[in-house]
Amino acid sequence: MNKFFLYISIFFISTLAIHAQSDTCKNSLYGKIIDEHDRKPLEFASVYIVELAKGAVSDNKGRYKIEDICNGIYTVKISHIGCESLQSKIIVKGKTNQNFYPEHHAEILKDIEITAQKLVEQTTQTKNDVSEEKLNQSKGQSLGESLKSITGVNSLNTGNSISKPIIHGMHSNRILILNNGVRQEGQQWGVEHAPEIDPFTANKLSVIKGANSVRYGSDAIAGVVIVESKPLRDSAGINGEVNLVGMTNGKAGTASAYLEGNFNRLKAFSWRVQGTLKQTGTVSAPNYILVNTGLRESNFSYTLGWKKKKYGAEIFYSQFNTTLGIFGASHIGNITDLNTAFKSPVPLETGPFTYKIGRPYQNIEHELFKAKMYIVTGVKGKLSVTYARQYNLRNEYDKHKPLNDSLAALNKPELQFELTTHSADIIWEHNQVKHFTGSIGFSGLTQGNTYEGRALIPNFRNYNGGIFWIERWRRNKFELEAGIRYDYKRLQVYKYQYVSYATYQLVTPVHTFENVSGNVGAIYKPGSNINLAFNLGTAWRAPSVSELYSYGLHHGAAAIEYGDNTLKSERTYNGIFTLRYTPSKRITIEVSPYLHYVNNFIYRQPATVPVVTIRGAFPAFYYKQTDATLKGCDFYLNYKFTNSIELTGKASILRAWNNTENNWLIMMPSDRYESEITYRFKNYKKLNSSYLSASVLYVTKQWRVPANSDFVAPPSEYYTFNIHGSCSIKIKNQNIELGVSVFNLLNKTYRDYLDRFRYFTDAMGRNITFRIKVPFNINLKSK
Amino acid sequence: MKKKTIKLIFAAMAVTALWSGCKKDKDLVPVPQPVVNEPEVFTTMKLKFVDSSNVSNIKYATFRDPDADGGGGYDIFDTIKLAPNKTWITTILLLNEIASPIDTVSNEVLEEGVDHLFCFTPTGSSATVKRTDIDANGRQIGLQSKWRTSTLGNGTMQVELRHQPGVKDGTCSPGVTDISINFITKIQ
Repeated sequence: MNKFFLYISIFFISTLAIHAQSDTCKNSLYGKIIDEHDRKPLEFASVYIVELAKGAVSDNKGRYKIEDICNGIYTVKISHIGCESLQSKIIVKGKTNQNFYPEHHAEILKDIEITAQKLVEQTTQTKNDVSEEKLNQSKGQSLGESLKSITGVNSLNTGNSISKPIIHGMHSNRILILNNGVRQEGQQWGVEHAPEIDPFTANKLSVIKGANSVRYGSDAIAGVVIVESKPLRDSAGINGEVNLVGMTNGKAGTASAYLEGNFNRLKAFSWRVQGTLKQTGTVSAPNYILVNTGLRESNFSYTLGWKKKKYGAEIFYSQFNTTLGIFGASHIGNITDLNTAFKSPVPLETGPFTYKIGRPYQNIEHELFKAKMYIVTGVKGKLSVTYARQYNLRNEYDKHKPLNDSLAALNKPELQFELTTHSADIIWEHNQVKHFTGSIGFSGLTQGNTYEGRALIPNFRNYNGGIFWIERWRRNKFELEAGIRYDYKRLQVYKYQYVSYATYQLVTPVHTFENVSGNVGAIYKPGSNINLAFNLGTAWRAPSVSELYSYGLHHGAAAIEYGDNTLKSERTYNGIFTLRYTPSKRITIEVSPYLHYVNNFIYRQPATVPVVTIRGAFPAFYYKQTDATLKGCDFYLNYKFTNSIELTGKASILRAWNNTENNWLIMMPSDRYESEITYRFKNYKKLNSSYLSASVLYVTKQWRVPANSDFVAPPSEYYTFNIHGSCSIKIKNQNIELGVSVFNLLNKTYRDYLDRFRYFTDAMGRNITFRIKVPFNINLKSK
Repeated sequence: MKKKTIKLIFAAMAVTALWSGCKKDKDLVPVPQPVVNEPEVFTTMKLKFVDSSNVSNIKYATFRDPDADGGGGYDIFDTIKLAPNKTWITTILLLNEIASPIDTVSNEVLEEGVDHLFCFTPTGSSATVKRTDIDANGRQIGLQSKWRTSTLGNGTMQVELRHQPGVKDGTCSPGVTDISINFITKIQ
């Protein structure tokens, strides 16, 4: 029915346009119609100049053009199904580019999404987005926590403040994080090193599961986490948003805001500034306070863009600064202390609530500077060049300061790493030629690491180079994709090696690695309600410096680790199959079984004899390689009983096997099941998008572990209940969003197998978060 | 008014851009610089035993872990050999032999005596230990002690240094372990 009206209006408008042709002026108004919320182009929107009774309709890329008009000021009216019509005064002077951002009614938004989806490029690899609703619910939490709503994605935690994403049981160096199009380069090897990214810079988080090395470079053997910022404004005006989040547990507060704009006088130039401040005090488990778990974070970023029809450039800079306390009772002297800590029902240290952060703590800074340029190369394609510099500074402070007063006064970290990375990517994407689209590219990277203090990993310099080619073929119901990549990596290590008493020798070994990765995939859509995707990929990862050269006590882990400098690259072969089935408008089912076979999988194997040091005996671990098989399945179900009640179910199951040792692999997530019921309220006056949801998460006990490989047995299964509620209030054309979430509603005590603090303490207790989002618009007056 | 704000925004962005672009790449130095703040470590414990009945009768026992927190183990691990039925005046010396010149860390332990406590746990034929020194709060430390030996035979003596900042109460349980060595004892 709606479509019928549309065609009528198209006809009507075009007739009008013909009638107005008598005008002698030859100027034009053109631009794009873009959805204000998700910045997707809107098709079939009508643009109408009231004074001239003249208009046009946007095409499938949201483009419109009204020709043959005189210079002057006009009232332009934009309408689209599901959008409130928008009216604004526009000055036409010569060929004038003007984009419009109509806003969708929330209730109709769902229907529109279906049409909009077709415009989104689908890859044959399984890509899942964190929904906007889930992203809002996780506001104020770390990046790792924000990703957990995706099935098959977990997090490896060190208490409440350090959270690393896990995809299909793999983490750290086996996952690539793409921040604004740049590979995140921090000290990723450490399990207590969280990604240095402010989630507030992202308006979209997504995860590609499976080997993805072809496009993004080696290491992505388990998957890629993509953090994307919203595109810059491309029409005149200034707008912004303020986010405030408060949490009861830890009395935490987060404030984040951005301001972005584009000026009438300089249409090509757009800008955005963004910043976040966060502070958390000591958090509590249901029965006690966890000493020294506070956190402080201050981040800012800016983006400058210059966009013309044929070329464009963008500069992005972000800085992430955090100081986070490490739970006091988790820092232990030796294995005897560790055993005492395990046996104690209450952590050995407790104390009152405070915002103060004492020893031990980490202080981390991460900077990213990115410059990107693109140029349209005729009708054939687009060439883009990206340069990025990242600087990562990590300071770790031990539990006790030096005994020596003059050393203590300096307050230097016991462990410091400085990692600087320069990278460049050149990519040429070609437009469709006979059902083919594709891209070809080259990337280079150089990286240097220096340390001060305790020698845990040595200094090194790293050179990487890679070249790739991806082609995609699409016709009707079929889509095929194939890609190939070659990478070369040279690692030069500088290390003082212990020879004998008081004698150290500088050794400078060089490691080189080279390998080919590739993938082939297919999508088949036999009907509009069924979508089958299959992807086969192979990828590799060079051993990290810590795996090659660790030699000594790992304080956080109370273990002596020995690297092996003869380790070879890991190679994975994986297959992922995804079936998305929507038998009716109300039901969506997604099933995604996968298999990863990893050749030369690097892991830590415990030794039978402990090492005796002056601190006492410590268990020793050796980095070893094995062949591993990780297989599992992710399930997703959404059922809308009525327009207001819907049920969502998720499950992720994983089995990880060490083929060489013929045993389970250690530190793998256990099975998780989650179900959520949501009630969506009807819009009432100025209230819209209101919902209330309740969810339950069930995590099974991980009993699939090798015997005697861990200090204590894995913790029991647990349930947690969570509640979320949110609504938007329309004030002056802006939707002010209010939300409340209760995590661990019943204040249950539990320990998670993947939390490294499970040895010492229960997980965090009930946490109620309140959040408010206030968008605003400043209209620049046209003169 | 509007123009002013725009100018202000531009100025602010220019300043941040300049400020952020000025950090040096330290890693351009390819060879590791001499370690600037090698953290304080214990590498060596030396026990000196003086026979109270004959001060010229002196015995020593040493434990040395020359790379401290590194992956190498000890290179010296003496057995404590003492004559029976005697009282030995015992002094503990702690060294950091990674530092140059060698740092006598026991001096600092003494200075911060209020945060430290030595604990001695004998098994089998060993000795009974009484600490003889006290900290500023009147609590024992254990750098100085008296060891009383009795019957002949073999046993062990665990010597532990507990770091107890703010929690020292005279017992061994609070705090964390800085040193823990289980010496073999021979009373002969």
